[in-house]
Amino acid sequence: MTFRFGLAAALAAGLMVAPVAGWAQQKIKMGVSIPAATHGWAGGLNWHAQQAEKRLEKQYPNLDVVIVTARDVGRQANDLEDLVSVQRIDALVILPFESAPMTDPVRAVKQAGKFVTVVDRGLTDPSIQDLYVAGNNPQMGEVSARFMKEKMGGKGDIVVLRGIPTVIDNQRVDAFMKEIEGTQIKVLGMQYANWNRDDGFKVMQDFLSRFPKIDAVWAQDDDIALGVIEAVKQAGREKEMFILGGAGMKDMIKRVMDKDVLVPADVLYPPAMIAEAMEITAKHLVEKAPIQKEYIIEATLVTPENAAKYYYPDSPF
Amino acid sequence: MAEPLLAAFGVTKSFGPVEVLHGVDFTVLRGEVHALVGENGAGKSTLMKILSGFHRPTSGAVRVDGRSVSFSGIGAAEAAGVVLIHQEFNLAEHLTVEENIFLGRELRRGPFLDKRAMRERSRAVLAELECSVDPRTRVRDLAVSERQMVEIAKAMSREVRVLIMDEPTAVLTGTESAVLFSLIRRLRDQGVGIVYTSHKLDEVRAITDRVTVLRDGHHIATRPTAELTEDDIAQLMVGRAISDLFPAKTPPAPDAPVVLEARGIDVPGWVRGAGFDLRRGEILGFAGLIGAGRTELAEGLLGLRRRTAGTLTRNGEPLRVRRLEDAVAAGIAYLTEDRKGKGLLLAKGLQPNLTLLALDRYGRVFVDERREASALERAVREFDIRVRTLDVPVGSLSGGNQQKLLLAKTMQVDPDILIVDEPTRGIDIGTKQQIYQFLHDFARRGGSVILISSEMPEIIGLSHRVMVMRSGVVTGILEGDEVEEGEIVRYATGLKGRTSSRPSQGDAHDAVGHA
Amino acid sequence: MTPSVMPEAARKPSSGFDLKLYGPFLALAALIVLGTIVNPVFLSPGNIGNVLTRTAFIGIIAVGATFVITAGGIDLSVGSLAAFASGVMIVVMNALVGSMGAGLPVILVGVLVALGLGLAAGLVNGLLVTKGRMEAFIVTLGTMGIFRSLVTYIADGGTLSLNSEIRTIYRPVYYGGVFGISYPILAFAVVALIGALIMYRTRFGRYCAAIGSSEDVARYSAINVDRVKLLAFVLQGVCVAIAVVIYVPRLGSASATTGLLWELEAIAAVIIGGTMLKGGYGRIWGTVVGAVMLTLIDNILNLTGAVSVYLNGTIQGVIIIVAVLLQRGTVARR
Repeated sequence: MTFRFGLAAALAAGLMVAPVAGWAQQKIKMGVSIPAATHGWAGGLNWHAQQAEKRLEKQYPNLDVVIVTARDVGRQANDLEDLVSVQRIDALVILPFESAPMTDPVRAVKQAGKFVTVVDRGLTDPSIQDLYVAGNNPQMGEVSARFMKEKMGGKGDIVVLRGIPTVIDNQRVDAFMKEIEGTQIKVLGMQYANWNRDDGFKVMQDFLSRFPKIDAVWAQDDDIALGVIEAVKQAGREKEMFILGGAGMKDMIKRVMDKDVLVPADVLYPPAMIAEAMEITAKHLVEKAPIQKEYIIEATLVTPENAAKYYYPDSPF
Repeated sequence: MAEPLLAAFGVTKSFGPVEVLHGVDFTVLRGEVHALVGENGAGKSTLMKILSGFHRPTSGAVRVDGRSVSFSGIGAAEAAGVVLIHQEFNLAEHLTVEENIFLGRELRRGPFLDKRAMRERSRAVLAELECSVDPRTRVRDLAVSERQMVEIAKAMSREVRVLIMDEPTAVLTGTESAVLFSLIRRLRDQGVGIVYTSHKLDEVRAITDRVTVLRDGHHIATRPTAELTEDDIAQLMVGRAISDLFPAKTPPAPDAPVVLEARGIDVPGWVRGAGFDLRRGEILGFAGLIGAGRTELAEGLLGLRRRTAGTLTRNGEPLRVRRLEDAVAAGIAYLTEDRKGKGLLLAKGLQPNLTLLALDRYGRVFVDERREASALERAVREFDIRVRTLDVPVGSLSGGNQQKLLLAKTMQVDPDILIVDEPTRGIDIGTKQQIYQFLHDFARRGGSVILISSEMPEIIGLSHRVMVMRSGVVTGILEGDEVEEGEIVRYATGLKGRTSSRPSQGDAHDAVGHA
Repeated sequence: MTPSVMPEAARKPSSGFDLKLYGPFLALAALIVLGTIVNPVFLSPGNIGNVLTRTAFIGIIAVGATFVITAGGIDLSVGSLAAFASGVMIVVMNALVGSMGAGLPVILVGVLVALGLGLAAGLVNGLLVTKGRMEAFIVTLGTMGIFRSLVTYIADGGTLSLNSEIRTIYRPVYYGGVFGISYPILAFAVVALIGALIMYRTRFGRYCAAIGSSEDVARYSAINVDRVKLLAFVLQGVCVAIAVVIYVPRLGSASATTGLLWELEAIAAVIIGGTMLKGGYGRIWGTVVGAVMLTLIDNILNLTGAVSVYLNGTIQGVIIIVAVLLQRGTVARR
């Protein structure tokens, strides 16, 4: 009984407070809409967004940053409506869950006269955005392929663990395949591992059973790579192959730094890009600084030489 | 009083090979209240269902305004102005009162529901009933008596010409009944014909113009109410010799010890201040009309239903029963009236059903299935359960065999006191006799039995003493020659014993002293 | 008044009754044949070992779920609970390294914490269902969200990783074994065996089935319905905790994605195994087979390049439906 009452009271209080906060301020308001922390990379995204919020609100006293996280496309679309109508934002920084379905909701925000920054996943109509900040997915595939070609001397057998069936995954894999075309590198098998450690472990176990000889693994993502590493260790086949992940998770960067033979390198696709997008947007809003239309963050190859530069020990990712 | 509104001529009805109505004549005149009385199973319900189009007669005719009709379901009957109000209500629990009143014939304005008109008319009808229920209330939130009023309102909102009421006051309080009676009189004065069934003979006397008595599916008599006393009506209803279905009674010795004593038992909504003594070797019958609170009293004693007051004494020691386990531990077992819903797991086999109540007697940690199997073999022999193989689901057994299995299950805990509730409901005469013999033998061996039954012959044929209940109150305890149908009916209908429907607890204690 | 026209028990148990009983085992056999055809490596001891070890988590959880479902309930919170218990276990062990040093005692404390948490969670679910008189579906949907967000909170949205020294000591619990059989497989076998004993041989198992068939009949048979249901949820919680104890050493981490959709996998394993979703009839060995089948399907898909990876879900769906059809088909025909 008390539990039910408590919950209801909390809800009511929440409903009452939100609009009041909306009316009270005369500040410049920046809304940030990102996916909830449901996997490692998104966890990093959330962390960096919150860090940037603290930093920016300190730097610009008349700036108010509102971060909302959503678990799926539908909820993200609802969030946008609330940001515009309840929070009355002046600018939106959004990392869309998916490109196509979020295009129209973002267009509505733009039509309401807000400044729109799109991060990572491009909308199907790029004319909507005022600013685009993104990692470079095709480039990530390319850089990965180039590194593997070099390391393997242009020949050998590899397996590929993919993410979740989405545009991002396709862009990465397509570019990767194009880059290794014409070499003697053979892709033995390819499976989805859902950017998830447990799935990486399971899929790799089965690849190890299926293929007696594997020279390298392109795991594409650091969470998957960590699962893969465990499976390879379990099979006692650490000497046979190396593993290339992606993103820039601190555990993986640390391994590269420590010259782990299993993990000779990593390819950056940093969740910190959200912070960058927020900073550029804030600077433009407050100081009216001129901006470029696009900031593409390079898919940098992290090697033992430069690893220390990309190591954030405090980040949860 | 000329042309009958509704008439049945030589109506018979068979279910399968069994004929339950044998050529019954019945008429309802304009502006009369016609009582239809008879014991449980006399055929009242069947006749009412035929009159209102639920059943079709096997032979004979039903006429409305002199024209022969063949209702193809209640819709047709209601269209002709004949409406039946069920004992078990026919309301959609999750809809509101007004939605229920207009269910199936909603008022419309264009393509949309005309909610305002429906609400106003509902309100008007309810006001006429002096019923304060808000038409927007959901039916599930109503008390039982209020639901009854909604049923009546629903019938009245139709162009009703014949209103058939099946025990309408069974769930009403005295005041509510009074409102209902004035309403019935008003409807009668407007020319509506009313068929009224009730076990309460005082009511029959008070508001009906004619009485028709049914017994065993036969039409016994139709007389003006004014010519009959309540006693006469009871006599007409009974009029049956008790056959030798029952073994000769062997009452306990007068000094047999009291094994169970109940005092001042209150079960909210059902029983007020009930009490009785049960002696060793005795069969104590609980008689009364359906809804008198007998089952609820038993369930209250056994911890199956909330009990708010009362004490139990077992062999002179106070007994606390909070859940059924406590009763079982005290040697009291209960055979439920709801064999299929509460007695047996229909999808399971005989063995798990047999031992479910007494499973702790089949091994401390693990259940010993071999002992279970031999118990089943014994039970099949002892209780004459007839099955081809023992691994069939219980649901596929006949009612009689299910009942014998349920009895065997109940006996698994070796009780000293057996409370059996409608032990022969819906089973054939042969099995009935076996169950009677079993109860008789059980008592002779020193067991004690409480027999709850709505079948009068059963109560009279088996019980050494009979406790009669009416509206949740013990109205009398009969013994010796008093155990006789007319006398029981008099107590059960309120002709004798306590007449007020809600006496204080002190009165109930007097009733015990009477024993 | 209504004459008794019920037919006497005439129907003999049809031959299909057996198929219902053995359906899951037949489906498993068919799946093994399919796997062998797809890739002979399938039958290698290494692969079989991997598959069974992997099955252990879902399998152990599903054994618990069999009781809850048999008693007419459902527990949607198991996946989230697994994540939450893993998270708390890791945090506690990491915190204790400082004061107790990296050693067996720390792991022991971690294990006790996990078990305690599982038990407590089961108790909460069970009490809300029995004393709170709420639907199990809603109660556990609620706790599912709560546990999931709690683990996200303690992990700061990221991943919790076990201290590497502890990890080294703890690691063999997943990767080690005796006589070539890994500990998770052994744990799974022991849990299943105990589960089967409880389900088939004790009063509690019988009572679960009775309550799932009809709560009223159970109540009128002097069964303490609330206590039995509560115990079923507690049993489920403890099973989740056991799964957590062998899951943590595998990757040494927990995050918001840990145990995602395990509840559905566990329920699917139970149903594929022949337990009825509406309760009243539970089969532990069927559940074991169901859990193994679910893992096998993934395994077979990973072992073949013949099917487009885009169609994985289709194959999984078809196999699950066919397996259950095999089991129920004859019932429908009656």
